[in-house]
Amino acid sequence: MTISTQNELETEVEVRPDGQARVVLRGRLNAQTVAGCWIRLEQDLSEAKVQTLQVDVSGLGFCDAAGLSLLLSLNMGRMTPQATVSVLGLKADLEKIFRELALEDDETFHPQPAIQSGSFVGKIGRRVRQMSGDFHEQMVFLGAVIASLPASIFHPKRSRWAETRRVVELAGANAVPIVSLMSLLLGFIIAFESARRLAEFGAQLYVANTIMVVMVRDMGPLMTAILVAGRSGSSFAAEIGTMKVNEELNALQTFGLDPIPFLVVPRILAAVFLTPLLTFYSILMGVIGGVIVMLGLGFALPLILHQLASSVHLNDLGAGFSKSAVFGVIVSAVGCWHGLRTQQGPSAVGLSTTRAVVTSLLLIIVADAFFSAISFLLK
Amino acid sequence: MNAPADIAISVKDLTVGYGDTVILQNVNFQVRRGEVFVILGASGSGKSTLLKAMIGLYPPLSGDVWIEGGNLVAAQGEERLALLRKIGVMYQSGALFGSITVLENVRLPLDEFTDLPDPLKEVAALARLKLVGLGAAADKMPAELSGGMQKRAAIARAMALDPGILFLDEPSAGLDPITSAGIDLLITNLAHHFGFTFVIVSHELPSIYSIADRVVMLGSGAKGIIAEGKPEELRDGAADPRVRRFFNRQPDPGHSVEPS
Repeated sequence: MTISTQNELETEVEVRPDGQARVVLRGRLNAQTVAGCWIRLEQDLSEAKVQTLQVDVSGLGFCDAAGLSLLLSLNMGRMTPQATVSVLGLKADLEKIFRELALEDDETFHPQPAIQSGSFVGKIGRRVRQMSGDFHEQMVFLGAVIASLPASIFHPKRSRWAETRRVVELAGANAVPIVSLMSLLLGFIIAFESARRLAEFGAQLYVANTIMVVMVRDMGPLMTAILVAGRSGSSFAAEIGTMKVNEELNALQTFGLDPIPFLVVPRILAAVFLTPLLTFYSILMGVIGGVIVMLGLGFALPLILHQLASSVHLNDLGAGFSKSAVFGVIVSAVGCWHGLRTQQGPSAVGLSTTRAVVTSLLLIIVADAFFSAISFLLK
Repeated sequence: MNAPADIAISVKDLTVGYGDTVILQNVNFQVRRGEVFVILGASGSGKSTLLKAMIGLYPPLSGDVWIEGGNLVAAQGEERLALLRKIGVMYQSGALFGSITVLENVRLPLDEFTDLPDPLKEVAALARLKLVGLGAAADKMPAELSGGMQKRAAIARAMALDPGILFLDEPSAGLDPITSAGIDLLITNLAHHFGFTFVIVSHELPSIYSIADRVVMLGSGAKGIIAEGKPEELRDGAADPRVRRFFNRQPDPGHSVEPS
């Protein structure tokens, strides 16, 4: 028999050779003493082949929820899996709680999650079913947006122009500083890189043509769209997603207001308007960046301007701006779509935002490739 | 401070506000060990502000909050942590961590602050969930629980470390009468069987009559306590007409929706 005292708890353990064991606890079994007691009991009991364990707690002056957990643990046979355990001497009120808590049905606390079919074919099938469901939902969304657009455009009084203006300001005007910096630096980069290569052929003057063509036809619309996707597409998804989590969308619907014309259409109209504007500004800043580099290389300003003007045609500008309008539709529609699909839970809005940005970027690149191919074939 | 042995919390000259705005001024009261103490008052009277000042979330403009003989307002570092370990808090919304299961929510404080062996932590967390009647919901996510169940789970988490004092912010708000009565019974049982001291913010009269040993009432615009005592005493014999109106569910004079 061993007796140990720690803090305010005395623990007495007796293990007999015939498999009978007895634990006597005296004093206070609480959050402070329970860890030491557990370690002590584990040392004495877990190695012994105990068949019957009696835990005498009649000497306990105090037992809190932590102490009760220790007794429950012993009762469940956590230390003596083969033994029959009985806890004796609990005070009447604790005895009642103890019996209620006795975790004989411990296993029911951890229901195993249903194991999904792990077969490869099964996985492909589930994925295909999910994708076809997503595609169906996307088509329904697209249809609802297209059906709502004429009403918004041809019945301006019904449209939420104040909301559209707010989005234009937040996603457009407030993005001007970052677009300025990004495009100016982009102009520098293109000019420096092309100047090095063209110098080998004595054709540094064509740096102006390179900048103009690259900025107007591709980098201006593309970089602006990427920026709008990161800055505003994510914000659309987060804003609408939070509204969904807070049941504001349900509130709209119970008023008889459809979220598509109420929330989505103003954002799409705003994006169609602001993305080409930002693209124009981006092209301007990129060209300024290139001009600064060319001035540094020793070219005269009139010569640079003449070269710039002769390098692009009206159809180049048309291609660039129509591209950027399509990118605007992609970014805003994808952002709103993922916002509307937000699930419940704290990570749901973050997940929607991430998906909105990733999907937008992917679709922008795909659309850009499509535009380039069409443009090549038409020439 | 040498507080009497049976005093769990002592609020001394507490003034709470922000900037030039004072919400509560010179509030004084004591909470005895093992009692269910309710802070009540009309909406906007500063109940939740007082609770948040008592648990150290709002630094007061002046005054002290003594918890088990330690001044939470002045305490820093380890001393403050030790004092915070003596209290558990249930927030109005439950504030369960939504990305982990209910069991993991209750187990989290045990993992972070105790040296209990892992198997015992598991049982300890389960036992607390069983105590609040949520044993079968251990593996559910918080979003899968009803409002009443979330509050029960939040109480289980608050008492994970056996803190001695539990602060509950509106435990019955927004619940149906049966669920609300269940929470009241839980509070009474926990106070009776485990000796927890409860400080509860509430304005639910049926709950207050059912659970409160003593109440303080904050008055709208009064910036402090306008009545203190047992709920029945205040209902039947309060001198302040605002207290009588509150207990008898009468609207303030001048706040009428009838056409004049």
